[in-house]
Amino acid sequence: MTAVNDRRPTDPAGQPDRSSRIADLVSAARQGSDDALGQIVTELSPLMWHVARAAGLSSDDAQDVVQTVWMSLLSHLDDIHTPGALAGWLATTTRREAWRVRDAGRRQVPADQDWLAELPDRAPGSEELAIIGDGRRALWSAVGQLSPRCQELLRIVAFAPRPDYQAVAAELGMPVGSIGPTRGRCLAKLRALLAANPEGSPR
Amino acid sequence: MTPTDAGGFAAADEPLDDLDLALLDGIRDLYQAVDPMPAELPERIRFSLALRGLEIEVARLTAEEDLPVLATRAVEQSRTVTFDSDSLTIMIRIDLNMDGTARVDGWLAPSQRREIEMRTTADTLSVVSDEQGRFAFTSVPRGIVQLVVQPTERGPGGRGQSVVTPALVV
Repeated sequence: MTAVNDRRPTDPAGQPDRSSRIADLVSAARQGSDDALGQIVTELSPLMWHVARAAGLSSDDAQDVVQTVWMSLLSHLDDIHTPGALAGWLATTTRREAWRVRDAGRRQVPADQDWLAELPDRAPGSEELAIIGDGRRALWSAVGQLSPRCQELLRIVAFAPRPDYQAVAAELGMPVGSIGPTRGRCLAKLRALLAANPEGSPR
Repeated sequence: MTPTDAGGFAAADEPLDDLDLALLDGIRDLYQAVDPMPAELPERIRFSLALRGLEIEVARLTAEEDLPVLATRAVEQSRTVTFDSDSLTIMIRIDLNMDGTARVDGWLAPSQRREIEMRTTADTLSVVSDEQGRFAFTSVPRGIVQLVVQPTERGPGGRGQSVVTPALVV
């Protein structure tokens, strides 16, 4: 991680602090702090939620999978020492569980619910444009033009603590760059799409 | 295309820059807006993690079905849920009592006599299944609950694994 830290650009969102805070929490949780474990749950559950949803699970299934993975973590907590390893383990285990649930297809859909409304957003679409601000629409539409694999990667990486998204992406078999924190193909493609329509640049 | 600014041409093998990080922030904001994690999920997770320290075998939720039943005054939902672990299948049926509590009837397979706890946000209820693996919690406060099937051997040194379900809302 040191090499990554050294090359990390300035980050106004304070993400590097997030990673070192999680490192402290992991250490406290291993020593038995329930409060620290609870804070790790708050920090990393959104990452797992988006892994599960990007894998195509319904909201109910995604919630069950995220919870089950946290329960499985209890037996592995002593083997996981860095925030990067933790985020990577949680993301890969969530994706494996999500695939298992999706492929089994055993969950029955309640007859009285509009289950179409439960379908996850596999790809950004026009309906979502109505609830996001004008400034983000070009970004959303550019994301929607990426390959499904790039959409999944960027969705997951965006929720991983920095600088650990490198580790998370690599764990998922989707390395952002082979050496150091490089941009990677998906972000390069996104930037090319936005350059063709520069209104989407968040600056 | 002609590059108009730093976003114009960006090679995949260059280091991440501020614009990349800003784009990732933007993507995070977008997905948070269109598909947010349910706000109550972390509370359910923290409830189910209170069992740390036990040797646990996780029972996954593998099937769930809502059965509409006509109650006296209203159509109430009855629900069956199945959990599978390596050693045990736990099936439960959840019905609502007239007094606002829930009734949970369950069945263990393979059938066996086991001590079963139901953790609730108030306190922990305890029953023992019969030889056919059947058990019942007749009055469960509604809210988050979790089933814990106690190990078969409980002596010192012979402690086995508890089979634990995810937390669910009854």
